[in-house]
Amino acid sequence: MRRAVAPLLAVTVALVLADSAVVTLALPDILQHLDATVGQVAWVLISFNLVLGLIAVPAAVAFDRAQPRILSAVGIALFAGASAWCAVAGSIDVLIAARCLQALGGALALVGCLELMVAEWGERRGVAAWVTAGVLGTAVGPVAGGLLTQAISWQAIFVVQVPFAVLAVPAALAVRVVPALPPDRHRPAVRPNLTLALLSAALTAALFLLVLLLVEGWGRSPAAAALTVSVVPLAALAARPLARLMRPSPETEVAVGCFLIAGGLAGLAILPSAHLLWTVAPQALVGLGLGLTMDRLTAQAMELRLPRAHHAGWTIGARHVGVVVGLAILTPVFTADLQDAQEPAQEAIASLVLDAPLTAQDKIAVARGLGDELTQQQGRIPDLHRAFEAAELAPSERPAAAALERDLDTQLEAAATRAFRDSFLIGAALALLALLTVVWPGRRRAA
Amino acid sequence: MSIRLSALGLPAFALALVGGVLTVQLAYGGGSFEPLRSADPCTTREVASRSDGIEGLTERLVLIGVDEAACSLGVTREALILELGQPGARSDAQVEALRDGLSTAVRRMDEEGTLPLASELVDEALDSADLNRFLEIAIRAIPDSVVDAALKTDDVLLRTIADLDLRALLANLDDQADLNAQLEEAVTQAVLDSLADRLRDLV
Repeated sequence: MRRAVAPLLAVTVALVLADSAVVTLALPDILQHLDATVGQVAWVLISFNLVLGLIAVPAAVAFDRAQPRILSAVGIALFAGASAWCAVAGSIDVLIAARCLQALGGALALVGCLELMVAEWGERRGVAAWVTAGVLGTAVGPVAGGLLTQAISWQAIFVVQVPFAVLAVPAALAVRVVPALPPDRHRPAVRPNLTLALLSAALTAALFLLVLLLVEGWGRSPAAAALTVSVVPLAALAARPLARLMRPSPETEVAVGCFLIAGGLAGLAILPSAHLLWTVAPQALVGLGLGLTMDRLTAQAMELRLPRAHHAGWTIGARHVGVVVGLAILTPVFTADLQDAQEPAQEAIASLVLDAPLTAQDKIAVARGLGDELTQQQGRIPDLHRAFEAAELAPSERPAAAALERDLDTQLEAAATRAFRDSFLIGAALALLALLTVVWPGRRRAA
Repeated sequence: MSIRLSALGLPAFALALVGGVLTVQLAYGGGSFEPLRSADPCTTREVASRSDGIEGLTERLVLIGVDEAACSLGVTREALILELGQPGARSDAQVEALRDGLSTAVRRMDEEGTLPLASELVDEALDSADLNRFLEIAIRAIPDSVVDAALKTDDVLLRTIADLDLRALLANLDDQADLNAQLEEAVTQAVLDSLADRLRDLV
């Protein structure tokens, strides 16, 4: 049991940070199951990040006046209870409230786990493990959420977190010696935290918008989308060996990471087709960038700064406020672009149906089905296959109809891809802004 | 020197990676993966139909006619079709543009020699019509040469289009493709009416 304490705490850190984006792939299912609007369902994501971003620093300050193991255990228990509440939520309002509570518990758990992991593993190893667990959780969250949604249900995302968190409560209480917190001596590190916030906003485009494009735009299953976006965490794992091989300075490493993220997002903005393979290379760039920046920046923001918990709170706050800012900037852009994409998509569909090598009767049947489908799916990407099934075409006409269906699907995919372009480019611009904060000359101190 | 090279290694590697990925994507059409752009309706478009007889004829008429109407209205063919598919009143300009467009389509097909002879349409029109039995037998008995001499397809079609209550027809469209079906019905009826009139004149 003793040896499992620190790993359980690391898993808790990964779980809390995975929750930032874990529901991304489940949002369409949640929307349908809880009969919510797109705006409401976005708050399932926003509420968690907003509360975590705003509460992280006050939570860290609370640790000054409490026993860290007790407060950590309370936070983890709250996180576990709120996760269970999320799983049984019967309405979107309840789910959003549960997510807020989950973030509150998560903030206490994150800061507390850092103190406890340092107590268990020592300063260097404890902080490194805490940072790594957080980066892994952030990167793996969308993948895990997608696989669970496809294999079981969206509720499973929250259910699986409960046993780990429940086990982490006694683990937190079992940490024997927790060193007393030293008085506040250092100011928050503005530059690394600002870079973290901007990069988190940029990464929202990669982790949130890409899965939306795959599932909603290209009609891929959550599992297929999850496997596709697993390129990001895999590439992130390759970043450390690469850095060891090239031995750059920490500043160069972070600057290169920002550049790679910007390049990857620009790549996602100019995908040549809706084939999943085209997303691999841009995602690998984003993943490499993520691996080079997030842990390094978190370490820079916390390095030799006391009290450790306060500075951990600042990094958590910076990251999650960054995510919320990213969502706030990108959501209106891509929803407006999706709206604007409807007209050219409908015109392209009309053009292909009119010129299709089908008999006039069959064109009428297909057009009727498409019209019904477009009306029913207002605001979402329609399922054209149902329209072709409803047309009940003669066997001799089916090859031409199948070719038409493929062409129409390509048009929809092209329209969706085009609609996400500006958002990915904004994400790339945010990453370049982050790069600017790294390379901008700092204030020189007088000799 | 080696420190400097080491410092440049990762940025150079990143530049090469990003440059390579973006170049390959652009080379394979990245940035131009967009929905099909609608063609200029004022440019003559080749139209074909998989259907035969009156159905094929009306389909070609509608395709050319809508192109012509869209050209005169200054919109794309697809935008006009989608607009006509929406419920609501049609403007005078739309109705007239469509009528002129269909008439132009008849004249264009006549010039191209792609209009079928009237005799080629009679049997199909009779099959789908609910006519007096004696009248039907009498019409079927007329030799094709007499039918073709008595009826010019372009005249029948132009009269049909002139007489069509396009505003009512467009108001009842369930979707854009209904225009085809309703026009087909009108053409069939026009062929039969014209033949019945000629027959009565002969009698």
